[in-house]
Amino acid sequence: MSQAKDTEIPKLSRELCNRLLTDLERAKRPVLYATKCSLDNSIYNHKVGFLTPGPKKVATELNVSSVKKMSGAIFMLEILLRNIDSGAVNTKRELYYISKGEIKHNSSLKPLDFGDQEESDEIIDFICEMLECYREELNCYANDRGGQTYSQQLVVTETLPDGDKAVVDLSKLGTTPFQPKNRPQNLKLSARKKIDFCLVVESEGTANTLVANGFTKRHNCILMGAQGVPSNAVRGWCKLIQDQLSVPLYFFGDLDAYTMQNIYRTLKAGSAASLIRNSDYSAPDVKFLGVLPEDIKKYDLNDYPVKENDAQEVRALKKAQDALKNDPFFQDKKNKGLTQILNWLMTNKRRCEQQAYFTVDPRDPTMPEKIIVDKIKNGRYV
Amino acid sequence: MAKQAGQNKITTSSTAEYFSKNLQQVGFSSQTKATLTTLKEAVDNALDACEEAQILPDLTVFIEKVGPGSLKNSDQIRIRVEDNGPGIDPEDVPKVFGEYLASSKFGRGRCSRGQQGIGISAATTWAQLTSATGVRVITKTKGMRKAISSTVEVDIKNNRGVMKDRESLDWNRPHGTSVEFLVDGRIQLNGEAGLLNYLSGTTLVNPHLTLRYKVPDAEEQVIERVSKEIPMVPEATEPHPHTMKLGEFIAHSHLFGRVKTSAWLKKGFSRVHEGVLNDLVKAGTAKSLLEKSVDQLSETQFKELFAGLQNLKLMAPSTRSVLSIGEDGFAKSIKRLGAVDFFAVVSRKPAICDFKPVQVEVAVARLEQKNVEAESAVQILRFANRVPLQFDKAACAIVHAIESVNWRAYGIAQPKGGIPQGPYIVAVSVVSPFIKFKNASKETIDASDELVEEIRRALIQAGQKLSKHIRREVKANELEEKIRHIEQFCPILVEGLCRLTKASPARKKKAEDGLVKILGRDAHLTKQELDQAHAVLEAQNAEADSMGNTAEQAQLTENA
Repeated sequence: MSQAKDTEIPKLSRELCNRLLTDLERAKRPVLYATKCSLDNSIYNHKVGFLTPGPKKVATELNVSSVKKMSGAIFMLEILLRNIDSGAVNTKRELYYISKGEIKHNSSLKPLDFGDQEESDEIIDFICEMLECYREELNCYANDRGGQTYSQQLVVTETLPDGDKAVVDLSKLGTTPFQPKNRPQNLKLSARKKIDFCLVVESEGTANTLVANGFTKRHNCILMGAQGVPSNAVRGWCKLIQDQLSVPLYFFGDLDAYTMQNIYRTLKAGSAASLIRNSDYSAPDVKFLGVLPEDIKKYDLNDYPVKENDAQEVRALKKAQDALKNDPFFQDKKNKGLTQILNWLMTNKRRCEQQAYFTVDPRDPTMPEKIIVDKIKNGRYV
Repeated sequence: MAKQAGQNKITTSSTAEYFSKNLQQVGFSSQTKATLTTLKEAVDNALDACEEAQILPDLTVFIEKVGPGSLKNSDQIRIRVEDNGPGIDPEDVPKVFGEYLASSKFGRGRCSRGQQGIGISAATTWAQLTSATGVRVITKTKGMRKAISSTVEVDIKNNRGVMKDRESLDWNRPHGTSVEFLVDGRIQLNGEAGLLNYLSGTTLVNPHLTLRYKVPDAEEQVIERVSKEIPMVPEATEPHPHTMKLGEFIAHSHLFGRVKTSAWLKKGFSRVHEGVLNDLVKAGTAKSLLEKSVDQLSETQFKELFAGLQNLKLMAPSTRSVLSIGEDGFAKSIKRLGAVDFFAVVSRKPAICDFKPVQVEVAVARLEQKNVEAESAVQILRFANRVPLQFDKAACAIVHAIESVNWRAYGIAQPKGGIPQGPYIVAVSVVSPFIKFKNASKETIDASDELVEEIRRALIQAGQKLSKHIRREVKANELEEKIRHIEQFCPILVEGLCRLTKASPARKKKAEDGLVKILGRDAHLTKQELDQAHAVLEAQNAEADSMGNTAEQAQLTENA
């Protein structure tokens, strides 16, 4: 986030408060507008590459029912602005406790007391939607999860809050990964040698195995473990690699509806819940390397049917059906290949895991690596 | 294997002998149950007798511990029940109290509490077996100058009642009966199977009853009647052919002597008329068979006739023989259970379940004393022919029906598929001349699908009525909450905004005034809605009170 934006949020907030106060002075009912973060307000244009918010807004008018929510929002905004001012950062849970502490020391605020963290989280999200910013811009961070990165060529320069610079050469870390931050915008990337590609592996474990078996030694690449549904750190990190290094990105994960919609789509185009921050947290150039439906036949991979009694798998298939009808990402012609995979999954009701590449030659630990590289070389991805 | 002559001798036992050895089958399976069953049989008999003679019942129940009982861990308990009924003819006293299956009601198909004439004789037997003394009976009919007092015992070998110590005495009442048992048992006052639950249940379904009772460790209590209407026990209707078995069918013909078969069928059965007989002939029964005298029919001909009737589609039996407590009586009576916030009463129309007429009535009330734990199950009161059922709840049709209703839809908490929770009483009365009990001690009603469905419908109707009260209450609470919101949050909001914008005190004052104006409009509207909701609630409470007052007034007039 730029320095300009740092001052923008307090300015926007004060303008908002001023508008509310002016309305009140005139005995006019104030209305707050927030961006509607849902699929029905999502727009996808392949030239933009990620989901952007549509025109729909959620209006909150001040009345007996909403007065508590508005008072809570102003109360929390005050805490967040104080953090921005002092440079302090907090997690959502910490903010919940900070609000508790404030109330403890000021009994007149007692009615605002949050029953649980869910209530205070809701207020923080509401503030983000009103100011059209993401919580990292309000100095509210999630813990850094996923995105452990290995490379023999990548060098990261981090600008610290005090202005100092820290340089991390990933080739010096051995088998220790680099952990990207939730605020990757503070990082600057460079390459010691030309990097050919970046591989994002869904399973953290498989990423470790590839590195241990020498993947990063044999190839000029960046290798990253996504650890399931990508966190803000992973999403922002991929975007950064894409923008600053201009290397091709490939995603390697399971062949199932959940991976396609919840992991890959989020990495590539963001999500409906994060419409406001998709521009900074999506990497539209990332390609789906596999597992592809044709790989099952080509490499004789072990696949298995979707379990009818597994709620998560059944839900994912049902969601896939909805996605084909309503998700602008899957409806876009440019993403026809991905839509075909979703259709294949729904018709065949089968799934295949990324680790199935190990069945191809059980005695050759580098077999998955060979297949991956072969696929990249021959353009067998979507 | 058949027993060979000369081996074990085959003997015949009397009914009394059988029951004296199997008292557990008729409600004497434990010491607490024995006390309750004895009381129950005495009260049932008293109420039935009063109803039969169209007398408003005044019952006095007296229970005390006399000393240690002869059984291990038991007390000797005196149970006395006095009524103002018609009294018993001295000739009949030994039959009533000392002979099994001697009843004026056996198999008559009426909705009386007692049916077979087993219960009170079983109580006498229990007293005789545990205290070596029978039942002490004082009775006086209208025509008698003096009352007769005697002790009745069961001659177990011959199933006969024996009167002992008979004497005449002066009794300061025109007619009535007093029975006193001295039995071994234990007293359980509280809980579902407690004596107090039995007594309050009995008063609930008998709005016309005045009950005085004295139990150990408590003052004497008087529960006044709330209705002066004595229920008319409808006469039994003729049996319906589809409810009979072949043997009963043939035996039934013997009551009619020499009459034409067609006349017997039309007179002796309900729902059999000329049209039905024509259908019978059309279906293949010889017309000549209907012309024959009924006493000349052979067994084969009876069989043919019976099978023919069974295959015909007949109208369901009449529902005229069932008796109802009535919504009005039930509504007044439920207030005698304690302070009630609000209640709903439903009297279903008599219906046919399993080919038997049945009437279901339901009362659901919320108690004022909310100290009942929110998660404790509601109090369920079950009644069959106006007798409380207190044991084996889980298997009962009434409980099955209660569990099948979605009470959450009416604002009452309920674990999934379980008994609802909260400070409520759910009372269900099933009245039928032929209640299918699961056992001879009449503790549980058999849960047939049709009966469960009928009870369920009654409960749903009651739930819907009750939910109107609950929802109104919820709405009133919500409105109050909204007003409180305004008062609490307005100052916080304005102060927060002023701090963030560094607004001057003048701006703050102006904003406060503006906010009060905006929310004042809401508050005013809210207040209006709240007043309306209160007015409706109060009107309903007043209506409920006036019901109670009418009853109280009726009582005062009667006392005067």
